[in-house]
Amino acid sequence: MTTVVGARPRRADRGSGRVAPGSGRGVRAGGEAAARRRDGAWPWLFVGPLMLGIAVFYLWPIIQTLYYSFTEWGVFGGTTWIGGANYTRMITDPDLLSSLGNTVLYTAIVLLGVPIAVGLASLLNLPGLRFAAVYRVLYFLPYVAMPTAVAMVWRMIFNGDHGILNWVLGLVGIDGPYWISTPGWAITAVAIVGLWSSLGFSMIVLAAGLKAIPDELYEAAQLDGASRWRQFRSITVPLLAPSIVFVSIVTVIGSFQLFDLLYAIMGASNPALPKSMSLVYWFYQAGFVDNEKGYAAAIAMLIFVLIGVVTLIQVRLQRKWVSND
Amino acid sequence: MTEVLTGPRVARLALRRRRGGRQGSHVVAHVILATGAVLMAFPFVWQLIMSLSTNAEVQSVVPTFWPSELRWQNYATVFERLPFFSQLGTSVWITVIRTLAQIILCTAAGYAFARMRFRGRFLLMGLALSILMVPSQAYLISQYQIVQGLGWLNTVAGIVAPGLFSAFGTFLMRTAFLNMPNELEEAARLDGASPIRIFWTVMLPLARPSINVLAITAALWSWNELLWPLLVSTYQDQMPLSAGLATLVSDKNNTDYPVIMAASMLAMAPILLLFIVLQRRVIDGLAHSGLK
Amino acid sequence: MSRSPSNSRSTRSALRLAITAAVSASVLALVAACSSGGGSGGGADADYTPPAKDLSAKITYAYWDATQTKAIKENIAGFNEEYPNIKVNLDVTPWETYWTKIQTQASSNTLPDLFWLNGPNFQLYASNGKVAPITSQVKGGYIDPKNYPESLVKLYNLDGMQYGVPKDFDTIGLWYNKDLFAKAGVAEPTADWTWADLSTAANTISSKLKGDGVYGVAGGMDGQTTYYNTIFQAGGSVVDGTKSGYGDAATQKGLEFWTDLIKSGASPTMQQLTDTPGDQWFTSGKVAMYYGGSWFRAALSDAPVKDAVQVAPLPKGEKQATVIHGVANVVAANSKNAQAARALQNYLASEKAQKQQGDAGSIIPAFTGTQQAFADSLPGVDLKVFLDAVDYSVPLPVSKNSAAWNALETKLLPDAFSGDKSVKSVGDDLAKQMDADLAKEK
Repeated sequence: MTTVVGARPRRADRGSGRVAPGSGRGVRAGGEAAARRRDGAWPWLFVGPLMLGIAVFYLWPIIQTLYYSFTEWGVFGGTTWIGGANYTRMITDPDLLSSLGNTVLYTAIVLLGVPIAVGLASLLNLPGLRFAAVYRVLYFLPYVAMPTAVAMVWRMIFNGDHGILNWVLGLVGIDGPYWISTPGWAITAVAIVGLWSSLGFSMIVLAAGLKAIPDELYEAAQLDGASRWRQFRSITVPLLAPSIVFVSIVTVIGSFQLFDLLYAIMGASNPALPKSMSLVYWFYQAGFVDNEKGYAAAIAMLIFVLIGVVTLIQVRLQRKWVSND
Repeated sequence: MTEVLTGPRVARLALRRRRGGRQGSHVVAHVILATGAVLMAFPFVWQLIMSLSTNAEVQSVVPTFWPSELRWQNYATVFERLPFFSQLGTSVWITVIRTLAQIILCTAAGYAFARMRFRGRFLLMGLALSILMVPSQAYLISQYQIVQGLGWLNTVAGIVAPGLFSAFGTFLMRTAFLNMPNELEEAARLDGASPIRIFWTVMLPLARPSINVLAITAALWSWNELLWPLLVSTYQDQMPLSAGLATLVSDKNNTDYPVIMAASMLAMAPILLLFIVLQRRVIDGLAHSGLK
Repeated sequence: MSRSPSNSRSTRSALRLAITAAVSASVLALVAACSSGGGSGGGADADYTPPAKDLSAKITYAYWDATQTKAIKENIAGFNEEYPNIKVNLDVTPWETYWTKIQTQASSNTLPDLFWLNGPNFQLYASNGKVAPITSQVKGGYIDPKNYPESLVKLYNLDGMQYGVPKDFDTIGLWYNKDLFAKAGVAEPTADWTWADLSTAANTISSKLKGDGVYGVAGGMDGQTTYYNTIFQAGGSVVDGTKSGYGDAATQKGLEFWTDLIKSGASPTMQQLTDTPGDQWFTSGKVAMYYGGSWFRAALSDAPVKDAVQVAPLPKGEKQATVIHGVANVVAANSKNAQAARALQNYLASEKAQKQQGDAGSIIPAFTGTQQAFADSLPGVDLKVFLDAVDYSVPLPVSKNSAAWNALETKLLPDAFSGDKSVKSVGDDLAKQMDADLAKEK
């Protein structure tokens, strides 16, 4: 383990540098801020190219969508201003509650993957663990697999009559449901696949975070007689916090965007689909199936605000959490 | 600094102890990891088996777990039905451009957002992040018309343009740079290094593990992206492999499942390979930095 | 904030620069998009005269079915013998994305010169002036609608204007498994079968072969292959002008045909048919009869049941009926090479090109008399049933925005198929909601 030596200079920095970034603006003041004052125009050089592209290809379309959400937008263009009519219609649309409920359920299940990934990533990070590279590849497979093909395989696994899942459940005396054709179960089934396919990503992000934690911290804790569970709780989790928060935020954003997976696994003509709609599916249905693009734009804005609020809450919670530790 | 001097000795001691103490518990770790790995890999193994079956076997009502004979010709069929290598070439080309662009742009911006002070940085980061919060289909028509306005329809520029700029990647790199210690940067600054030099020689090497994550996600995303290339290009020879593969499923009434499975195995192979290479490089990279 | 003034200014000007650049790029894009979005232009309304043989042009032909590429390439080669300098770029986009692509192109006036449309989408494009009528081609005798199935030609007619003719068609038939009939000791279907005959046979097979997990009959649970057919056979309608037909007693009888079969166990349940589609039940030998389209032929080539397969006309209800559908080649209204595109449209509709399509074997060409290759493609199986069905065929029901009420069908009908609600209450509810959608179309 030559890395122990390599980690040496970094460890020295850790203690002081760690907590500051997560806890936000205040802590970093002082000498550091004085140095920062000289950044001048440099930040714009670093940020400019990216922001220019984002403004042209993303922010501008969002502004357009905002405008369209107040219009009736013909199938092939041509808009009529109708004020807030799309929004009032949206609030009374029964699809709002059902698609919101489905999306939240899906997100909750997929979020379970974050603690699982933290656990698995730290197991994989155990020093001297054999076959770690093999495990990594195996856990990463689902993330790389092509969605269309994956969906087909999972449809077979979930098959109510002959699926392997119900066969296994049958062994322990459970009569499994028709997973993908029963409203309620269907979204659960899709969420299981969502969890399965996102775990690999969470793990590699967390693994990169774990690499940055110096081994010496664990060794010192070991000398202090801390149990491994305690080491995990007092070293791994707090030091990994920024990565955990990142993964959670990304998972929530991704889950709120649920569409492709739902579509691929359930199939367009699935009778349970209308009751298993996600928010984005609802948006797609309005814009690309019913051809009511103005209404769809309003739904897009709702999704935008919802994800924005949830993300803000997560960021706030993170600040609280990190500064408590 | 005294701590550093004693550090290695203590560490070595602790390591020995830890090794000894942990050897037994690795069994538990292996049991957990292996069970997880089986669950994770099973659908994929099944996909592999299906790619070697007949269509009838794949579609039989009671599933066949092992084909009567392994039909490797399913893979040959993929090559027959698609201009596989030219589409592969396009895919590689597009993926390389977008991955490199994302690494450069996201790393630079992520660094500035994490470690530089400038007015409006929270607002700008928020704006960048906000683009992830709109359903991606909402961008389609606007982006298409922008690319059309730029005269980039049916060009590589048009295919790659929106994908060069990634809010996700920026967020990822910002998180990575937030995690880093201040002292190295401070020292370099006191030595009078310019921000670009600090970024390049001090911070970038430290961010390697996260850059690898960025590279793999950018490549994977670009590799699998289907709708946008299909939208802006009407020429088959400009299509990436993902789009080509999708045409295999195009006949909605008669789907040749084994061939699709075979095709998707072929399509994911390069990304998997990239992952394995990058993973090795992360480990090497850390070992090297240790020797310096 | 103790920023020095000069730095702050440079920061701000950098920001201003970035914003200016972004905005001007966007505005540029917008202006360009708008200016190209002018009227339909392109001479599509002009009278058609065959272009000069040496006309040099580059046109794009868009379609979704990659399995037809070979036949289409043969067609283009034939076309190029006549017009060697018209270069045709083939743009095949998978089904799922084809419609998104075409819609985006239509919104940006970049539609391909010639492209496929199907029945459910045709009126949307025609009523918005996105496709060009073929009136002058018909008048000039370059396309004669009489050469194609009449009911299908009507599908591509809107307000008395013809926009295209079908390039192929499909009808629905009763596929059955001779072995399972023999095993259950039930007489095979005949051309004279009625609903009652089917129901009796299906129930008998289901109960006799229960031990093998075999059912009597299955459908695809979609309109085209199952309930549209029985609705028409019962004398009902799906959409009649601007009104939904689902409130009619006859239409509801057509739906009850299926709910009764499911209730009595003659057919697998809706959930079973969702988890495992009807065609898979049939090819695996687990269902004796399957309502399926002519295209199902291709799925049989390596199926275990392929030697036991036969096909019969759909059983009669009040009358005989089958749904017919087929795609049409249409020319974009704002095509810059309208004459070249129309020349290709004419060529693809010609007997010669249609015969090439038929010989390639993946579809039934629409030109009367070119279908022999299809009829012969499964020796021993009476595929002629699908050709004869043209005589009593009804076009797939469509309107200007078919997708909207198709979505309603998928949303509401399952409650009837699962038995949770009565056909009458579901049908009446569907009719009400569908009428609201249809009213919005004008």
